[in-house]
Amino acid sequence: MDSTANQLRDLLKSGIHRIGELEIQTDVCSNRLIICHFADIQVSREPTFGGLLVHEGPEGAREISTYSEDGTYRFTKGQVNLKRGWVMLLQNAEDLRLALDQFYPACVGLFLAQQGGTLEIEMLRDKLNRQTGMYRFARSISDAGAQKLVQEVCGPAHQCAKKILWKLDAQAPLDDSEASRFNGIPGDLPEAEAIPLLCREACNHFVSECRKAAKAEFEAKPEP
Amino acid sequence: MPCIPAIARHLSRMSIAPKPTSALLIVGHGSTENPDSSTPYFEHADEIRRRGLFAEVHCCFWKEEPSMREAMYLIDSKEVYVVPDFISEGYFTQDVIPRELQLTGPTTEVRGKTYHYCLPVGVHRSMTGLILKRAKEVAPGVDPAETTLIITGHGTGLNPNSTKAIRDQADFIAASGAGYAAVLDAYMEEQPFIAEWDKLSQTPNVVVVPFFISDGLHSYQDIPVMLGIESEVGAAASQREIFRHNPHSLREKMLYYSSAIGTERLLADVILDQVSDFDKVHK
Repeated sequence: MDSTANQLRDLLKSGIHRIGELEIQTDVCSNRLIICHFADIQVSREPTFGGLLVHEGPEGAREISTYSEDGTYRFTKGQVNLKRGWVMLLQNAEDLRLALDQFYPACVGLFLAQQGGTLEIEMLRDKLNRQTGMYRFARSISDAGAQKLVQEVCGPAHQCAKKILWKLDAQAPLDDSEASRFNGIPGDLPEAEAIPLLCREACNHFVSECRKAAKAEFEAKPEP
Repeated sequence: MPCIPAIARHLSRMSIAPKPTSALLIVGHGSTENPDSSTPYFEHADEIRRRGLFAEVHCCFWKEEPSMREAMYLIDSKEVYVVPDFISEGYFTQDVIPRELQLTGPTTEVRGKTYHYCLPVGVHRSMTGLILKRAKEVAPGVDPAETTLIITGHGTGLNPNSTKAIRDQADFIAASGAGYAAVLDAYMEEQPFIAEWDKLSQTPNVVVVPFFISDGLHSYQDIPVMLGIESEVGAAASQREIFRHNPHSLREKMLYYSSAIGTERLLADVILDQVSDFDKVHK
């Protein structure tokens, strides 16, 4: 099978130029790849990148993506609060892949696996049943409680731009909602132009919220 | 028992021959609460990536993205060395990581890839040298003969092996000729408790080295409260303007508290040592 970087190069040739909040541009003159926040596209095309902070190479990707503009820890990378004001110059598709795996961990590989029919989805109950220590209690959340949490925690209204692929279990799809319908592409962009952010398993933030909700359910039960 | 010169020689040598067709997967705990928790893992990966020894170097986590189950979507290579960047052989390395990566032994074929499961960094003998290096750095000029060195870890009832790596290191250092009046192990959640560091120590100086990978929730925020350095759990290390200053005059002793052992840059070499040792034993 072709390498992830080569497949990424093919995706760019096919017209894809966006993943999450990142815009990917090709500098025709220098043959470099340039990424920036999609809200900074115009300024990035000005001379000297319009004064955006320039990062040479993929090494700065983690630093950029760890905190939001207001200094909040971005505990899940699908959050739609990526910092603006920077541009990253990359020499090749390998470096682009390295950078993207810091901004959106494994998301290129997840998309390629989905395209190739090999992506394995993990149901919420399986995920919760594997939790240990203080998170073990999360598994006791009711189906109704979990459905409610999806609508309170997931989706762009709650700062997550991932497309949810999992169900509660194989027989229990998520209730229809803005969160469950979201296609993983922030901004108004045709699907053929972006790599969607895929959520193949509930994130640890969701697990943590399940634990809190499960405890609240337990405490709300009348004593026998 | 290793002597100090032997440890120094070990630390300075080149760890492994290049593996240009293999991937290295560094596995860590991670956190959704503390931004510093995963920093050392990424730094170790960056350091090894810079050396060009592997076709690819990736990290994955239990409580952070990418998850262990997403790791296979990161990797192109057919052969993968998995190194738990954990300080002990215990619950995570013996139960959680094998389950999540579907590993059934030292070498496992999973979906067309060959995974080699190495021992965690914390049990490697070269950790002894790193602890001594860290202890000297944090208390320069302090006479070891008047100093108790305490290596501290989490401790858990989930797996009795979790404290073995720390007990072993305390024994190695005590026998190494480093000259400390005493070398002790102590824990957050099991006896002997690190909160009683002053009662455990008979000397005027106490050096505490946290045997954790990162300056995360436990080593930077929880243990300082147990030691008495802080009155309540404070902000994460990266969200403070300055790192704490040593020494701390507390409970009629001078206390020196270092950053977590895993933040040591040379830990990247220990990861490579574990790959090298795997090959020696299993290939």
